[in-house]
Amino acid sequence: MTWETIAGWGSTALFAVGAFFFFAGSVGLVRFPDVYTRLHALTKADNLGLGFVVTGLALRAESWIVVLKLYLIWLIVIVTGATACYLVANAARGSGLEPWTRERR
Amino acid sequence: MSQQTATTISRRERIRLFVLRTLALGAIWVLITEADPGSLAVGVPLAMIGAALSVALQPRSLSAVHLPGAVRFAGFFLVQSFLGGLDVARRALSPAMPLDPACVRYPLRLAGDGPRVVLANTISLLPGTLSARFLGGDTLEVHVLDNHESVLADLAQVEERVAGLFGANLPPLQMGGDS
Repeated sequence: MTWETIAGWGSTALFAVGAFFFFAGSVGLVRFPDVYTRLHALTKADNLGLGFVVTGLALRAESWIVVLKLYLIWLIVIVTGATACYLVANAARGSGLEPWTRERR
Repeated sequence: MSQQTATTISRRERIRLFVLRTLALGAIWVLITEADPGSLAVGVPLAMIGAALSVALQPRSLSAVHLPGAVRFAGFFLVQSFLGGLDVARRALSPAMPLDPACVRYPLRLAGDGPRVVLANTISLLPGTLSARFLGGDTLEVHVLDNHESVLADLAQVEERVAGLFGANLPPLQMGGDS
């Protein structure tokens, strides 16, 4: 087995895992009951999914500068994603939107 | 140490920050464009605008990152954000959709605007917690997916990791009492 074969299969597996987390995040967006729980699903699952996709792409990269670039993009998406998440949650709390709760037993 | 000083940053320090950040943003630009010389006509002005904005929006105090703490923080963050994604995926895909959300109030020990921003963003990527807003009186309101008993202790652990990232020490935790 050559490195190209291993990297090719490895990256395909990583894409599949990444796609799974994007899918799970989207299911959470549809199923979860309010804005706060939906933010949990989108922020965390998409960040993780992108991490797998980026790692899969890094295995196929032709030079180390492309690898650095890919991880830099992931880092920027993590920071902006978490910041956007805070801004949405903050605006929702500020407008008095109460979080959904399970009925207390 | 725990008291936030409202001193403004000196003019000299601002110029130094502007130069350093222009260089840092310029390096990111070179990396993203794979050192294409034709793109510098756009990249150099953008790096300067970005650096000027970040200095203008700079909080009152500066916090330096502590390198060994940063390495430990990176490891902690990678593992915990993986568990965070896994946890939320499990809840979303489970037919029963196990959720018991609540908002909890976390009394902050960490001082400084920069470290607090890092803490708030880190919390949002870890399992089951999401920063909702900063309340007055050094309190962070956190939305949790599952209101179990160790939530506040978990948050305290995250806070200690972020303090380590900045080489800061936190006062001991006062647990119990409320709720």
